[in-house]
Amino acid sequence: MARINPEFTNKLKSYGAFDVNACYNCGNCTAVCALSDENNSFPRKMIRYSVLGLEEEIEVSLEPWLCYYCGECSATCPRQAEPGELMMSLRRWLTAKYDWTGLSGLLYRSLSASLSAFILLAVAVIAFAYRQDFDPGRLLHYGHYFEMIAIAGVFAVILLPNLIRMWYMTIIKTKTKVPAGNYFKALGELFVHMFTQKRALGCDDNQVRWFEHFILVIGYLTLLFTTVFLDWFASGSSFVIAAGYIESAVIFTITFIFVLSRFNKKEEVSKHAHPSDWFFVIWLFLMGLTAFFVRLFIDLDLLDGNIWLYIVHLIILVQWALIIVPFGKWTHFLYRSFAMYFQKVKESAK
Amino acid sequence: MKKKIGVYICHCGGNIADYVDVERVREAIKDEEGVALAKTTMFACADSNQKEMVEDIKSQGLNGVVVASCSPKLHLLTFRAVTERAGLNKYNYVHANIREQVSWAHSDNKAGATEKAIRIVRSAIAKANCAGSLEPIEVKSTKAVAVIGAGVAGMRAAIELAEAGAEVFLIEREFFVGGRVAQWDNLCVSDETGKDLVTRLYDRVMSHKHVTLFTGAEVVENSGSVGNFNLKVKVTPRYIRLQCKKGELQKAIDVCPVEVPDEFNFNITTRKAIYHNYPSEYPQLPAIDMKNCTRCGECEKVCSNIDFSQKTEYLNLKVGSILLATGFDPYEPKKGEFGYGEIDNVVTLPQFKRIVHYSGDKLTYKGKTIKHIAYIYCVGSRQVDGENKYCSRYCCTSNIYTAIGVKKKFRDVYNYHFNRGIRTYGKQEVLYDESSRLGDIYLQSFEHEPPLVEQKDGKTVVSINDILTTDKKLEVEADLVVLVTGMVPRQDNSIGNLLKIPKGRDKFFNEIHMKLRPVETVIDGITIAGASQGPKNIKESINSALAAATKSFSLVDAGKLALEPTIVKVDEALCEWCGKCDEACPYSAFDKKEVDGKIVARVNETICKGCGMCLPVCPVNALNLVGSTDKEIENMIDALLPTV
Repeated sequence: MARINPEFTNKLKSYGAFDVNACYNCGNCTAVCALSDENNSFPRKMIRYSVLGLEEEIEVSLEPWLCYYCGECSATCPRQAEPGELMMSLRRWLTAKYDWTGLSGLLYRSLSASLSAFILLAVAVIAFAYRQDFDPGRLLHYGHYFEMIAIAGVFAVILLPNLIRMWYMTIIKTKTKVPAGNYFKALGELFVHMFTQKRALGCDDNQVRWFEHFILVIGYLTLLFTTVFLDWFASGSSFVIAAGYIESAVIFTITFIFVLSRFNKKEEVSKHAHPSDWFFVIWLFLMGLTAFFVRLFIDLDLLDGNIWLYIVHLIILVQWALIIVPFGKWTHFLYRSFAMYFQKVKESAK
Repeated sequence: MKKKIGVYICHCGGNIADYVDVERVREAIKDEEGVALAKTTMFACADSNQKEMVEDIKSQGLNGVVVASCSPKLHLLTFRAVTERAGLNKYNYVHANIREQVSWAHSDNKAGATEKAIRIVRSAIAKANCAGSLEPIEVKSTKAVAVIGAGVAGMRAAIELAEAGAEVFLIEREFFVGGRVAQWDNLCVSDETGKDLVTRLYDRVMSHKHVTLFTGAEVVENSGSVGNFNLKVKVTPRYIRLQCKKGELQKAIDVCPVEVPDEFNFNITTRKAIYHNYPSEYPQLPAIDMKNCTRCGECEKVCSNIDFSQKTEYLNLKVGSILLATGFDPYEPKKGEFGYGEIDNVVTLPQFKRIVHYSGDKLTYKGKTIKHIAYIYCVGSRQVDGENKYCSRYCCTSNIYTAIGVKKKFRDVYNYHFNRGIRTYGKQEVLYDESSRLGDIYLQSFEHEPPLVEQKDGKTVVSINDILTTDKKLEVEADLVVLVTGMVPRQDNSIGNLLKIPKGRDKFFNEIHMKLRPVETVIDGITIAGASQGPKNIKESINSALAAATKSFSLVDAGKLALEPTIVKVDEALCEWCGKCDEACPYSAFDKKEVDGKIVARVNETICKGCGMCLPVCPVNALNLVGSTDKEIENMIDALLPTV
């Protein structure tokens, strides 16, 4: 027996959902969806659950992650209930649910909280730089340290516990009995989806979107590797330096295209941007851009006279690593691939 | 006079000719007695053939015509008209059906079909041989109409009839006009109130000199028939004189010690024995309900115009037609039906509307604030196991409209609609749209699994197996459960029995033909309008009222009526009045009269429909049906038998 909660849709609206109540259950959205199948039928079912406020049912469901938002459902919806954006909002809501700290939910629901956090971190970085007398050498050194500590820390304290929570909700709570061996057998699925987003190819829309996204992910991951493990800013290897230039250029070019399309609102996917969507692309763009110029200034021996540039880069980096990665849209990188992995695990258990 | 009959045998394209050898039929009957002409034709109903028939009748002096073709339902009137155009009385025409009864029924046996067709045509010729000319029966008609029921349908019909020029007697059983609509407040979609509508109609009724309104009045006897009904009307007094002063009357109401449940408010409030239903009600004079009055005399002390000496009166009215607009009752759920009468916070839609009306800033019922409201649809309508199979038409719309009003008027109200498919048909669909966009939740039950209302830990919980949410049993904790009840026929429908109006399986009054004759009844001269005929919303009621008014007016306007002559005739020499014909007659067309010291049966020509039910029960064979006399029928049977 499930109790109906009509207030849930109001809550969802703060996560970006539109007029979900307008839905009259025609099912066109599900019929038109290229990814929906007999075993995982969406988005109609998720819309119905949302309208009825069946939080527990949504919480244990992987279906929101199985949608890659081509927007066909929203385009065909006769009631303008925006099912595509609802699935997106459910992903935000699930991200908040998985997050044990509760900060994700706060930042998604409140723009002022997000902005305050960004400002707070910026002030902290400037204060830190002031205490270091704006010394370029020390700042670059600490910046590199920060990167390593942040990656390890965020992963251990936030992301790993949250993934465990996701596993608990979607597999343990649904009482799926999975032999331990299945987790290993399905591991391939995790990595394939993490690095290729292969499932998005199933969407009927323009495959260019998938390709851009794919290049962006590869660019991002390799730049992460180049800066953290190959210490790009301090490296003397011309190969590493060139690689860093290319990777950061790839990032700011593609994110620039994404930002533009969010401005133009031509495609369904970019029509309804939530603040968290804007933060994600803009910060990624700024990160690529500032990193590119920091290295350029180093190569041209201009950085010592223009340390402000590195401080800007550091601010962007800190905000990215402490807000967007653990609590913001970055997490979809993990949750999507783990959703595919858990899905495979569940299917193999049947 | 010797008969000269023209026989036309139709091919009906191939419909008949593919299975019946029409040429053989023609050969077989062309020498029958009386046949002067026998032809086959491709399409008897075609213009060219009709013209040819007219020519034949005129040039050959035919005085009988037979067409063997399709069902008489399709073309009897067509060919009767052909004979009339040729100057021949239409009752000389006889129709033979060799399509539905022969070619279509026996497509597997052509020889047999042809043989059957021959015999059917022979029997038609046999009938044509004895058929003669008949003239319509003419009766006088009184130019007055009785409209029974002064709800919106009755009042609208009365206005229409009066404006057309008929004298109208508007007869209302209650002391006040307006019927069910007076109980309604805001109406969709105009937001006018039911009371507004009633006021507007009442003003027009009262301002028309041809309308006479009787309240507290009931028809108790009826005699006569179309054109000349004699009604006896019983008028109960109000026990209050007309000149009553307003202030005194309010005092009289205040001092009355009797309190009874107020049916006008569906028993959620009480009223006194001296009462009016609401302040602006019409007629503006209150009434004393003698069923509950204890004659304590308190009211007489404060109001000089209370008059207990008023007597029940009986009036005799003569009218040409009767228009019935007696309305409906809201369905009263059975005790325990969805918790009704057992669980405290289960009410019906009409009650809910009154609760909303009487709530101030907060929606409350029995002192408790209402936040979550569960509406259960189709209560008393579309019953899977019960008797009421019909849809009541108005309830989905009315309920959603009310739910929207509640949502807008009171903050934090949540509506849950437990429906079986929403039927806000036509232009009313905008309401469903508005309600769902306001966040109302719609849950649809399976036909055999209605929602369940039960008490759990002192809370009222409604649960459902929702069609739209697979494999999930859902529940809502409701502060109020509203049973969206439909319409049922008036509990006291004695007027229908008095006037012998047939009822349908749903127990509402029945029309002759649902589509083509929607306001006439089989009792000539009596029309039906509004929800007495079946569930209707206000617009539909008014539509039918206007149609019925027109139909009734057409019967009284000319002052005379032409009736079908094909009715029963009594052979007074043979009749010994045993009363069997009277028992068999479904229309009560018989009474008795004295002829030369002997009691014999008399047929009321305006009532008899010529159905023939009386014929076989007469022990002395004193009855004959004009147009289907014994002689005609016997000759037809003889012709059907194989020739030896």
